[in-house]
Amino acid sequence: MTGHHRARWSRFIALAPLVALALAACSGDSPNSIFGAHSQFGHDVDALTRRLLFLGIAVFVLVETLLVFAIVKFRKHDGNTVAHQTHGNTTLEITWTFIPAVILAFIAVPSVQTIFRTQSAAPADALRIEVIGHQWWWEFRYPEYNVVTANEVYLPVGRAVNFELRTNDVLHSFWIPQVSGKRDLISNHVNHLWFTPDSVGAYNGFCAEFCGASHANMRFKVFAVSAEQFAQYIAHEQTGPVFPLAMDTTPAAKGAKPAKGAPAAPATVPLTPAQLATGTWPLDQLPRWVVPATPLPDGLADTMPGDAARGAATFKTAPCIACHTIQGVSAGIIGPNLTHVGSRTTIASGLYPNDHAHLVAWIKNAPAMKPGSAMMALGQSVMGAGGLTDQQIADIAAYLAALK
Amino acid sequence: MATIVQPPSVARHQARYETGLLSWLATTDHKRIGQLYFYTSLAWFLVGGIEALFIRSQLWGPNGRLVTAETYNQLFTMHGTTMVFLVIMPFSAAFFNFLIPLQIGARDVAFPRLNAFSYWVFLAGGLFMNASWLFHAAPDAGWFGYAPLTTKAYSPGLNIDFWVLGLQILGLSSLAASFNFITTIINLRAPGMTLMRMPIFTWMSFVTQFLLALSFPIITVGVTFLMFDRFFGTNFYTIAAGADPLLWQHLFWLFGHPEVYILILPAFGLVSEVLPVFSRKPLFGYNVMVYSGMLIAFLGFGVWAHHMFAVGMGPVADSAFAIMTMLIAIPTGVKIFNWLGTLWGGTLRFTTAMKFGLALIALFTIGGISGVTHASPPSDLQQTDSYYIVAHFHYVLFGGSMMGLFAGMYFYYPKFTGRMLNETLGTVHFWLTFIGMNLTFFPMHFLGLTGMPRRTWTYDANQGWTSDNRLATVGAFILAAGTLVFVINWLRSLKRGQPAGNDPWGGATLEWSIPSPPPDYNFAELPHVTSRTPLWHGDPGPGPATYPAPFVPAKVPTAAEAGITLPSPTVKPFVAALGLAVSFTGMIAHKNLALILLGAAIFVGTLYSWLLTPLEPEHH
Repeated sequence: MTGHHRARWSRFIALAPLVALALAACSGDSPNSIFGAHSQFGHDVDALTRRLLFLGIAVFVLVETLLVFAIVKFRKHDGNTVAHQTHGNTTLEITWTFIPAVILAFIAVPSVQTIFRTQSAAPADALRIEVIGHQWWWEFRYPEYNVVTANEVYLPVGRAVNFELRTNDVLHSFWIPQVSGKRDLISNHVNHLWFTPDSVGAYNGFCAEFCGASHANMRFKVFAVSAEQFAQYIAHEQTGPVFPLAMDTTPAAKGAKPAKGAPAAPATVPLTPAQLATGTWPLDQLPRWVVPATPLPDGLADTMPGDAARGAATFKTAPCIACHTIQGVSAGIIGPNLTHVGSRTTIASGLYPNDHAHLVAWIKNAPAMKPGSAMMALGQSVMGAGGLTDQQIADIAAYLAALK
Repeated sequence: MATIVQPPSVARHQARYETGLLSWLATTDHKRIGQLYFYTSLAWFLVGGIEALFIRSQLWGPNGRLVTAETYNQLFTMHGTTMVFLVIMPFSAAFFNFLIPLQIGARDVAFPRLNAFSYWVFLAGGLFMNASWLFHAAPDAGWFGYAPLTTKAYSPGLNIDFWVLGLQILGLSSLAASFNFITTIINLRAPGMTLMRMPIFTWMSFVTQFLLALSFPIITVGVTFLMFDRFFGTNFYTIAAGADPLLWQHLFWLFGHPEVYILILPAFGLVSEVLPVFSRKPLFGYNVMVYSGMLIAFLGFGVWAHHMFAVGMGPVADSAFAIMTMLIAIPTGVKIFNWLGTLWGGTLRFTTAMKFGLALIALFTIGGISGVTHASPPSDLQQTDSYYIVAHFHYVLFGGSMMGLFAGMYFYYPKFTGRMLNETLGTVHFWLTFIGMNLTFFPMHFLGLTGMPRRTWTYDANQGWTSDNRLATVGAFILAAGTLVFVINWLRSLKRGQPAGNDPWGGATLEWSIPSPPPDYNFAELPHVTSRTPLWHGDPGPGPATYPAPFVPAKVPTAAEAGITLPSPTVKPFVAALGLAVSFTGMIAHKNLALILLGAAIFVGTLYSWLLTPLEPEHH
């Protein structure tokens, strides 16, 4: 038969893009790479995974080389019309049973060691953080400090953090690829995952267990900060809402975008010393990849400026209070705690940046921005009651943005 | 053998069943049932493939808006459910049906009517599951259907009802078929066909039937609990009533892991038939191949919780399941090396079937190796539920199962139809599939290792996932093009393919000793078997000078001329399956009691009549 040479070469050519791809992946921009390993847990897993990949690639090369060699060497040609008949070879077969067993021993031993190391009891002085999964957002509680927040979690570098994982509804899974492995949140169970963050950084977190319509949109942000900054953050979170104690009601001061035709204001407001004192991650130092880039659905872009003081009054009578807690204002527990929502970098569980335009759109029509969201479209009439007006929504957004 | 003269009434009755639609509804011939399985699976393969194209198109770019999140969840759920239950399993079933009796030298399976029933129930299950699309209520909780997402509290619609009932129907089909084939292989082997002389495909199928018979009851229990929760208000998985959702996970994976071997062992069997014929050497280490298949199946029941390392089972359970899982790599590795041993020193001829067989070795190896990387729990905690897993199991199920099934299809098409598939189109199909498959699934390793979770409808542009997703989407369309070539080749060759004689490839086993396609009675005289390779007589020789071996037309006598009594055709299995379908439709139609009872009455009544009718026409 003809064409064997061509066929063989096309096989190699087919592999070429894969090799190119592998190289690209190694050198490329992969912000959520599991090889980041920003904790001891991460280093342990990383070392094991590298060993597995190394042995795996060695076996891959061996098998594929033998296969390609056999294909090239033993193809039918005029000289070898009758094959030498063999039915098996006991020595060979024992050898290739034994060698994989030895390789696996080199995997099994460090695996079991790592299992027991990463699943040992957390140190007694570990920081306890309760993680509660909701369809589709994350609640974080620091019982030690009596702090409740959502979708953004601050961790002190150098101190063990013990996550206590529960779910309010279906299963979820808590995953920060750059820091550690994942652990499921299981109904009627309490799970644990602990690690010690070892470097300052902002990381993406994901829900890794399929949990319904907005599984893909159930994200969170992780800020590993210095012990000092963490103390500052906690102290700030422990206070009531900063608003209205030190309120500046001009829209520009709160980062609201001006309406069309209004005088141009800077897109982002320089941080004031007071804001820095919140201990939150400085906005201008956010890595590109932890800033959400989800586009707004059509028809929801609105830049009407709002008045925070009016918004504060509207909030108290709006449906918002049924689901959200703002310390001293409301006590809803269905949605995220909003006491310091203005100091978060994102809204809607890491789906949109926390700015005026996105807040307005979110309040107006959350289900359009996040499929299946339990938050009603407050811009539309709900069960006979008229929806909020655009002005009311803009005011509430201004109020929320002011809740540093 | 005495000639049996049938009374005219019986002959007339049978003639009605020989052609046309009725002949298919009433057939009890394992070869025709095999064809029904094949064409039905092919149709579902196209449906599942179209679902995959939607998924890949949605993920072509960041924040894609081709489909909604809800539709996306339906698409990936149905893609998985379809490819597992409606494609790979029944493609394998097509081969069980068509080949097992031929390979063991039998005239049919042990229970021909039960065999027809299995097919009709499978068809009903597939149609039932997919009818959900018509109501915009396709199942949407993943093929693994984790509780409590599947409970009424979190999935109030019909979606999960379709899934639960559809799985029940399909489970019935698989269970009935498994008992049938176990009985067939144990009881109907030709004289001299000892167990250790059985062709390796039959061996792997035999092992698979035990896996089916032992694992499907487990999923049936799990799904029945869910059905009772959803339809009758029980609390097996009701969180508010204190249920433990891990019950479902254990039941599901205790089925789900053996299921993986149900999907792969038949393909291993097919490749183990193809490689020796085109290497002109017997299978290297036949005994070890048989024992390793049995060992894989046995260990396959002890590794289920490796799907649950992120659940937090504790270090002892994690270690135990990790070690069991690593052990299973040993018999699997042995198979790979024995295939290489089969090739070694042979005279390889690269037909399309051989190309697909070699591709299985090349690609399954990748899936097997990536499997070992998540047999280690700490490493798995970074891999599970990420795209790395999607890459892994597609290398196993596409690179393994589908490549093996394609090898089998090209190899057995002549036996199936009496004609050859076109080798040029076959080569085009092969290369499009080989390239498309690697382009689709290899980048997914990198997506997973760079943090992309599975089952996600959308992703952001700044996560570094865009280019790998683009490659995967391009690959999926190349795969689709290859599949199109395959379908064209298949249909075109039915009429225009080169005629095939008994043995176009120079095969070794009994199926190659009879005409292509085989007469309805298979063997005019039951063969007497004295070796594993009865047609090679100890030496395969060089094989035909060119493929196919020259076709020599021969007169094939009819069953009546040969004096062979065949099972009577009957529509009763079809009607019984229809009764089941009516009952299940009653369940989905808000527990419509009238329909449920009507279906049950049809089912029970038909079974009665079936049991009271002899299998073969009565001799006068």
